[in-house]
Amino acid sequence: MPAGRVLLAMLICLGLWTLLVSPSLKRSAEASPEGTRRSVSLAVLGPVSAISEALRVSVVTDAVVRALGREDPEVPGIGIVEPPEPIPTVPGDAAEGPNQGDPKPTGPIRVPTSRKKLRVVVVGDSLASGLGTYLERVMKPSLVRVSRQGQISTGLSRPDYFNWPATMRLIVDRFKPDLVVVMLGENDSQSLRSPQGPITMPIGTFDWADAYEERVRDFAHIATSGGSRVVWVGLPVIRDQARWEILKRLNGIYDDVAADEADVAFLDTWGRFSTPSGGYTAYLHDGNKVIEIRSPDGLHFTPTGYELLARAAMELAMQEFQLADKTIAD
Amino acid sequence: MLFPTVDFALFFCLVFLGHWLLNPRPLPWKLFMIGASYVFYAWWDWHFVWLLAGVSALAQLGGLAVARQTDPRRRRWATGIAVVALLLPLAYFKYYGFFVLNVTNALGELGIHAGLPLIQVILPIGVSFYTFMAIAYVVDIERGDTTPASWIDVFLYLSFFPHLVAGPIVRPNELIPQLDVRRDPRHIDVAKAGWLIFGGLFKKVVISSFLATAIVDPVFGDPARHSAIEAIVAVWAYAIVIYADFSGYTDIAIGAALLLGFRFPQNFERPYSAVSIQEFWRRWHMTLSRWLRDYLYIPLGGNRRGTTRTYVNLMLTMLLGGLWHGAAWTFVIWGAYHGVLLSVHHYREGRRAERGADEPARPGLVWGQRFVTFQLVCLGWVFFRSDSLATALELLGRLLWGWGTPTELVTPLVLATIALMLVTQLWPRAFAEHLQERVAALGPVSLGAVGAVSLFVITTLGPQGVAPFIYFQF
Repeated sequence: MPAGRVLLAMLICLGLWTLLVSPSLKRSAEASPEGTRRSVSLAVLGPVSAISEALRVSVVTDAVVRALGREDPEVPGIGIVEPPEPIPTVPGDAAEGPNQGDPKPTGPIRVPTSRKKLRVVVVGDSLASGLGTYLERVMKPSLVRVSRQGQISTGLSRPDYFNWPATMRLIVDRFKPDLVVVMLGENDSQSLRSPQGPITMPIGTFDWADAYEERVRDFAHIATSGGSRVVWVGLPVIRDQARWEILKRLNGIYDDVAADEADVAFLDTWGRFSTPSGGYTAYLHDGNKVIEIRSPDGLHFTPTGYELLARAAMELAMQEFQLADKTIAD
Repeated sequence: MLFPTVDFALFFCLVFLGHWLLNPRPLPWKLFMIGASYVFYAWWDWHFVWLLAGVSALAQLGGLAVARQTDPRRRRWATGIAVVALLLPLAYFKYYGFFVLNVTNALGELGIHAGLPLIQVILPIGVSFYTFMAIAYVVDIERGDTTPASWIDVFLYLSFFPHLVAGPIVRPNELIPQLDVRRDPRHIDVAKAGWLIFGGLFKKVVISSFLATAIVDPVFGDPARHSAIEAIVAVWAYAIVIYADFSGYTDIAIGAALLLGFRFPQNFERPYSAVSIQEFWRRWHMTLSRWLRDYLYIPLGGNRRGTTRTYVNLMLTMLLGGLWHGAAWTFVIWGAYHGVLLSVHHYREGRRAERGADEPARPGLVWGQRFVTFQLVCLGWVFFRSDSLATALELLGRLLWGWGTPTELVTPLVLATIALMLVTQLWPRAFAEHLQERVAALGPVSLGAVGAVSLFVITTLGPQGVAPFIYFQF
């Protein structure tokens, strides 16, 4: 086939495909970070989406999507990103859950048995995703059920992209966790938006920190509303020094909220995984050995680093909430 | 820039237009293609554009220095110096951290404080691939298999975007001559290119992503929580994941090159249909296998220096081949394991030849050999995929002690997907050729519509967002 006709076929292919998926492309563009790319995408996808709607293309595409078993989850309040794994529902031992009759428990976290396992959920962004994997490994499977709900590129700033408060409410209702481990904030240094999309508080304004703190506090209330305890894992130092100031500010907010809430404990990871002067390091001394704790991207952890982080979070849970030490694997 | 993204689709349309418009004018065409390839590379991190340019310049300087020598000994010396110079950036970026960490800890065990600077080096994408191509260029000049090309041709040979980040590893005499041939814009093999591109997308976006999230990642993430059956199926599934991911990438690369009028060598030839480990390596990542053979195994002496030396050469080649995939002990073990398998195969073949046994293989035996070869390859994948040696051993331990626990992750869909992909390894070629003939008869509008519907199905079945290709990290 001649090159001109091949180019025509490629353009038809891309154009038609864009028409077929324009609603979801437009929603993705709306949820993407501010900038030229977002503006250009929306400028192109707006008219295409209008044509798609006028031609009622979605009637056909929705039918195909249903036939392929890929319907959007009809979960109220969830943003455009699906939760990473189905939120588990507690089986028969729910009656032993932490919220039975005492929404604000005091005293030690319950001691699990092999029949009535402790329920731990890890929520947050990509750091929480890694932490969840290794938290599952450091806890005894015979006594603890870990639900890993970390979702990459999420936070509390953009409920239009992923609605963490709504997801947390579902997790509390369905899974009834005894312990919630939260690690988020890396993606939150941006303007705050409502679940519908519009900006409610631009980044850089005087009131941004107060508005963000309100979101953190609301989220902590939801997480503890069923009687769960929360370990809020602070943001670690990262290689990009330009972002240290905002990350420290976010850590200050999480620490303040934890100090005000009886069932929330804050884990300072900055001091734990940094140089003596508080700077970034990819390596730590472990006795005579040097271990690599951070991944080459300067942000995430290596498996060894995540395991240290998971053990630190559980040590704090033992200290603050008397988590039984038999729940931790050797 | 990732292949399965809107960014790449738009980039490719623009490059396609510029490429065919400038096709009659060689110099502007070459400059345009170099520019486009560097933009493609800079999409990840523009800092490493200088590394690509530096390796290209080093390859050309080395090639010219080698060509200038008439004395064979001086020629070999010049080649050696050039190859070492080309390996230095790769050694630094890929192995510095691994080396320093292991040396520091080994000396620490002896109570010696090494004091070596611990620097975490970011691995530039594709550096292993274009460094190997640069070495091939210098060595081929030394061997007289190719002559020094122009500076511009060397820069384009090494940066040409379809092969840039994960191969195939194209030899100088396969690509450089094509740069000076005027491509015919009237006859583009769009049916074959489309088959490769859409097939590659399906393998990467649908098959690889599905099996990775459904069973491979959970089981390799925490083997202790999974049963023996789950562990076995996860290892089989990973065999499909890595095949679908990597062969999907190279299919798209070969298809994209074909649309621009270039022919790349094949990289996979139904590897899981192999009846021996040697045949597997002739069918798996074929351009790396032949590179290791031609630029490592044969220069080491190959099988020309006696039996013992042949085994040593096989082991060394596979160990270094393993280490090429990554600076970790799991890759070293994977390479050593394949070295042992190839040595055993070589020994058995030698014994067979001595006995004069050359009976035709019975069909049942062929199936048995296929099954055994697949299981042996899968055992190697356990080390390749595991994040540490401890995880690999834990997973293998589940095969012994994990019986009797639930097997929730082994669903009919997971098993059917693995089975389907294994069946494609035996698929008759005529089927694909027949489909391509039907597609070739379509006009541009119908072809575009078929492409759009295929793309819609692939993107609907795939996950949100696409994970980077596994081989990008190598």
